[in-house]
Parts: sequence; structure tokens; C-alpha cells
Amino acid sequence: MTRVFDAPRELVFAAWTDPDRVAAWWGPKGFTTVSYDMDIRAGGTYRFCMRSPDGVDYWKQGVYREVLAPERLVFTFAWVIADGGLGQEMLVTVTFAAEGDKTRMTFRQGPFEAIAKRDDHGRGWTSTFERFAEYLATAFSDHPHTTEVDP
Amino acid sequence: MSPDRLDTTFAALADPTRRAILARLASGEASVGELAEPFDISLPAVSKHLKVLERAGLIARGRTAQWRPCRLEAGPLQEAAEWIEHYRRFWDESFDRLDHYLGQVQQGKGTRRGRKK
Repeated sequence: MTRVFDAPRELVFAAWTDPDRVAAWWGPKGFTTVSYDMDIRAGGTYRFCMRSPDGVDYWKQGVYREVLAPERLVFTFAWVIADGGLGQEMLVTVTFAAEGDKTRMTFRQGPFEAIAKRDDHGRGWTSTFERFAEYLATAFSDHPHTTEVDP
Repeated sequence: MSPDRLDTTFAALADPTRRAILARLASGEASVGELAEPFDISLPAVSKHLKVLERAGLIARGRTAQWRPCRLEAGPLQEAAEWIEHYRRFWDESFDRLDHYLGQVQQGKGTRRGRKK
């Protein structure tokens, strides 16, 4: 996913790495941040709780792999599930490129870290939503079991 | 969808040959020979790929001795697509809020915590 924000790169990067700022925007519409604890440095961990509009709390946690201001942020995340265990761990890579006064942010998320390690893909294997979703859409557009999802 | 099943599906899809095989099967059943045709690899190599896809539940193979047609099983793919769509929506909405937050900060309106005044 790529977005262009009308803000300088340093500010956008800060929005991702200053805990108070992250709390201001992280999560879908209608969610609020309830609690957060972030140690933002390579190897640091974080825990974050957001509350849905109907009052359900969702905890997520992870480890920062790379914190390279103001251009690159890499971290894992997993939801904390019912019995305190963790769901699928995912790897997120966000890069920030300056475009004049604006910032082009590129975001990648993949559930492939465990697979990459297991299969020994040296550089890891992450996927953008768009590439994969495009593949599904074009490969299966004529198939009865379409992968299109209505907005 | 269980994390293991998702893992297996994505691992199966992580190979371009396997993705191409699935794309071909989207147009209908095919034999191993037919599937191998576009690729410059051996039949045993194609069979290996088919085993991975079969184990992931992405294809099913017929039982007739001579002719074991492969067909696409859409369930796991549909689940993977739904998983992707769920996260795309999740991040899309977060980024909308980020956009709004950045605007507020630059106008000097928002506090760092984004609390309403």
C-alpha cells in the first residue's frame, strides 16, 4: 500500500515512532487507544491496546527490527488472543520517501516471516497487499469462486 | 482461519510456478502433462509442486489410475483473499486517521495524543 501525505517525512516518521502520536491515529475508524507501551529501537518491544466502538479491547504486541529515522521502520506484530497466546505473527515494513514537502509512505505487511526462516529465503519474503491481491484478481477473475470482495 | 492453515496457503503460493499452475486451473481441470507444458521443468518437478498445492488444500486430484486430473479448490484461496482484504481495510482506515492527524498537527490544532479539546 502506498500513500502520499501532505507532511514532511520527519513528522510522518515521528507519527509512527512517538508513542503519544501513534496513539492518536492507530486503528480503524471508531477505535480508541486505551493503553500503549512502546520501546522504539531495534530489538525493543511494544504492547498496544485499542478499544472497538462496542467496547471490546484488542491487544497487539511485537518487536522492532529496524528503526531508521526518517526513512524506514520494520516491526513484527501479532494479536494477543483469548488465552494470552499470540495469533499469526506478521512483519511490517514501512518506508518514507520525501517528495518535495510531502512524504510517500510505502507499507508492506506479510505473514511470511516464519515461512521465510523455515524455507531459508535469505532476504525474507514479504508481500505487498496490492501485488498479491492483483495476482488473485487477475488469475481468478473468470472463476466462479471469485476473490472479489465488495467494499 | 487458523494461523497454520494461513501459513500453509501462503507458503504454497510463495512460488511463481505454483501460482501459474493455479491460474491455469482457474480455467478448468488439467492433467499433469498439460500443466507441465508451459514450463521448462521436468514432470517430476511439476508433480512436486502439485503435492505442495494438494497438501495445502488448494487443488484436488481425481482418482482414475491413468488420468488424474487436477482441479482448483477455492476455499483456502478465498480465505487468504479475505484475510488480505481484512487487513487492507484495517490499515486503510488507520492511514486515513494518520492523514487527518498530520493535518491537525500542522495546523497547530491537535495535541500529541489527539485528544479533543
